[in-house]
Amino acid sequence: MTTSTSAPVTAPSTTAVAARTRGLRKEYGSTVAVDRVDLELPQGAVLGMLGPNGSGKTTTIRMLLGLVRPTEGEIELLGRRLPDGAEQVLPHVGALVEGPGFHPFLSGRENLVRCAAFEPLLPRKQIKQAVEEALDRVGLAQAAHRRYRGYSLGMKQRLGLAGALLVPRKLVVLDEPTNGLDPAGTREIRKIIAELHAAGSTVLVSSHLLSEVEATCTHVAVLHRGTVVAQGELTELLQAGGSALQVITPDVEKALSALRQAKISARPLGDGLRVELAGTSAPQVIETLVQGGARVFEATRWKTGLEELFARLTEAEEAERGMSAVDTLDGGSR
Amino acid sequence: MITRQFGSEVRWMLRRPRTLIGLFGLVLVPIVISFGIWTAGEDEGGGPPGLGAILQGNGMVVPIFTLFLSLNLLLPLVASIWAADGLAGEAQHGTLRGLLVAPVSRVRLLFVKLFGLAAMSLFAVTLMAVVGIIAGTAFLGTDGMMTLSGTTLDTGEGLLRIALFVVLVTFQMVSIGAVALAVSAATEHPLVVQAATMTTIIVFQVLGQFSSLDWLHPFLITTGFPGLIDVMRDPVPLDQIWDSTLLAGCYLLIGTGLAAMRLITKDN
Repeated sequence: MTTSTSAPVTAPSTTAVAARTRGLRKEYGSTVAVDRVDLELPQGAVLGMLGPNGSGKTTTIRMLLGLVRPTEGEIELLGRRLPDGAEQVLPHVGALVEGPGFHPFLSGRENLVRCAAFEPLLPRKQIKQAVEEALDRVGLAQAAHRRYRGYSLGMKQRLGLAGALLVPRKLVVLDEPTNGLDPAGTREIRKIIAELHAAGSTVLVSSHLLSEVEATCTHVAVLHRGTVVAQGELTELLQAGGSALQVITPDVEKALSALRQAKISARPLGDGLRVELAGTSAPQVIETLVQGGARVFEATRWKTGLEELFARLTEAEEAERGMSAVDTLDGGSR
Repeated sequence: MITRQFGSEVRWMLRRPRTLIGLFGLVLVPIVISFGIWTAGEDEGGGPPGLGAILQGNGMVVPIFTLFLSLNLLLPLVASIWAADGLAGEAQHGTLRGLLVAPVSRVRLLFVKLFGLAAMSLFAVTLMAVVGIIAGTAFLGTDGMMTLSGTTLDTGEGLLRIALFVVLVTFQMVSIGAVALAVSAATEHPLVVQAATMTTIIVFQVLGQFSSLDWLHPFLITTGFPGLIDVMRDPVPLDQIWDSTLLAGCYLLIGTGLAAMRLITKDN
């Protein structure tokens, strides 16, 4: 689904890749958290990293940021190999990993000032301004003087985001950025991601909220049980998912037999049936149905949503392993 | 850049409520000691022999006596708290990740932490000494400083001895803190760091009591503590002071080395 996976990593590329991993593997004791992850983050893209809880999203992100050493595999970040190039490239990377981390006894503003003191790209004189701008951007200016201890979950999340945006970044990594945010906060995060995208930054968002990813991302990578099961442009992935027709009819039996005779695959669903459009078209299906004596009340083109795609990808994997997909799917789609 | 990080570190430590409470507690020690000896002197008209005899009318000894006492327990405790908050505490709050992604290289981060520890230790010990001088002079008066050798030093020389003692005690404190930092790098629980450090200090002092273990004594940092009182002799015999400081230096190097090794390979 991606075009350049075969490009040799040995020649650190100047091509449009913000981050790339090859054969990434991380073991914690006898548990394998991440295995064979070949991730590609095109420059300027907004990549949504999807996966159920425990699928290795955060571990992958931590390896990308040099926080965790991979057991095996290679990481290239903004054109440099990690961990050697970390000091050169990490100043250009803003990150919110595993929830916001701040000192409870300091105010939001003081916390940001402390973060800013360790930002190599921020001259001392600009710290104050950068902090105020970041606070403004995430809508925390009013609460900036209050102690972090008293912040709500959403405010903490916003402060974490402000920390990632202290300096103009080439790459912004956001791990579950909408955790604990109200709908308004979620919209703001979307807006900020869109702004970053428009400004040419690359964004990596991990989320288990599929609607979130569908709304904001240009690219998607789906992780499951520590491996990437699909990645590529969102639209491409969704198209590859095929399409179907949702037909509302009271005469399900008649409809099914008519379609079977016409060699069109379909199955009962809700108040009617779902017809696969592989090798046929919507008018043809409806014609078949009407000729077969089934009354059609409504026919809707079924566009594959991310949710469905995600379910299928993770389900397929589960089926291979002969396991129930129910748990992970529940965890993933909530 | 590094001065800015040092500054941020010290400001951060000073902003902690527990640091302020700790400093307040430390400052109380010389005041309580001065007051206690003053009242004892009033009641008995001479105080207990030895200690009281030296301290009566000799307020300049209070800071040295205070630091000497505190070095056994109080100052290691404070150092262990700072070391615990420095790495384990930051890991617990998730702020260590933020620093590492900023990025601060792990070795530099350790030096920032060590600097913070040293600066705050020097500050705390100096503060105790200054308050000791003031409280001692106020309660007990001063005619220069009477030494353990029986001679009397003038005020200037006395202050110099106090300054020397401050430096020596700070160094011991920082060395203990460095070992605590090594523990701190290996855990996410600040309490573990404090418990481990204090247990070690107490166990060392207990081991120091057994003469059957005297082969072990030269390796215990606590063995060096009593020798530091030699700054109160006239002239100052340097060999015990030198031995104590050298021993503490070894602890400092080993602690820093272990902390660096742990920090560099650590997953965050």
